[in-house]
Amino acid sequence: RLCLLICQLNTRVAFFIVHWLADWGRAWRAGRPDMADCSHWQPPRPCEAYRAEWKLCRSARHFLHHYYVHGERPACEQWRRDLASCRDWEERRSAEAQRSLCESERARVQAARKHILVWALRQSPPADWHLPLPQEKDE
Amino acid sequence: MTGAPDVRGSGPAAGEQLQQQHVSCQVFPKRLAQGNPQQGFLSSFFTSNQKCQLRLLRTLETNPYVKLLLDAMKHSGCAVNKDRHFSCEDCNGNVSGGFDASTSQIVLCQNNIRNQAHMNRVVTHELIHAFDHCRAHVDWFTNLRHLACSEVRAANLSGDCSLVNEIFRFHFGLKQHHQTCVRDRATLSILAVRNISKEVAKNAVDEVFESCFNDYEPFGRIPHNKTYARYAHRDFQNRDRYYSNI
Repeated sequence: RLCLLICQLNTRVAFFIVHWLADWGRAWRAGRPDMADCSHWQPPRPCEAYRAEWKLCRSARHFLHHYYVHGERPACEQWRRDLASCRDWEERRSAEAQRSLCESERARVQAARKHILVWALRQSPPADWHLPLPQEKDE
Repeated sequence: MTGAPDVRGSGPAAGEQLQQQHVSCQVFPKRLAQGNPQQGFLSSFFTSNQKCQLRLLRTLETNPYVKLLLDAMKHSGCAVNKDRHFSCEDCNGNVSGGFDASTSQIVLCQNNIRNQAHMNRVVTHELIHAFDHCRAHVDWFTNLRHLACSEVRAANLSGDCSLVNEIFRFHFGLKQHHQTCVRDRATLSILAVRNISKEVAKNAVDEVFESCFNDYEPFGRIPHNKTYARYAHRDFQNRDRYYSNI
């Protein structure tokens, strides 16, 4: 009976310690909202997509297109860094790689959104988009 | 729309705005006809209509620019139905197509669309207008800046101003020539549907250019050819993963 009591006590202590650690971990992560839960995070794009973008960026054809549009040579180094970070994360689950990728992609999103829109965006599609054509309605 | 080849734009529907009518009615005569604007079966334009329908079908099914636009519009609540939202009609002048915001319909000028590649570009161009109509409160009829912005985006993103197309038009230029082409073609498209001076149209384009030239939605980049369009479509399909992991 004494052994059974000791086992039960140890089990309860063990449960207490495990739950305390889990609570502490959640509190720690909650204090760091920029770091996603490692168990669910994955690179925003597959590594193959970073490789394809880097390869496209470095091509002669892209140089021509970019010069034709922007009047300067394209910058491809960031795609190379992102590819390296993606592979690093896949191999070692590196936190630095995760941070670097998130930072890079956020910068891309910010750059795409920096222009002020000329018009106001809709909250819902136009009401008449799906309505029949006027002559069909008359029929 | 203008009389120049390959230029298209958005136009108001028949009777919508009296001050606009005299321009658009000259371009889309069928849009003002009373009753049925569609081609009849025994019409002498049956062959060109049939070609237009077949080319349109092929574009909708295979072109990566169009497939991305259709997906993006569906995501925004404007699923496109070929029979409802497209119409093959004869048009005056050299106009290739237009977007009729009052009926939410894309007009394809069956007598002016030369081949499949041309159809691809026209559909892409007009779908960009339709996409803008779907996602934003675009005042096509009374706000010249809105019209200018959509024309800048359509000229920029549809392939209208690709290096090859410009060379075929005998417009030679390399460094930043794309931007010159976009400005010029947007101005021409505005002049086709608005009875205003070239100076006023050009000023409207200049006012909105910085913002609208850099608005790449839904492509996320300027699709210089089908490879870029496919990559853009891949990114669009991946957007849930993308935004949940940055």
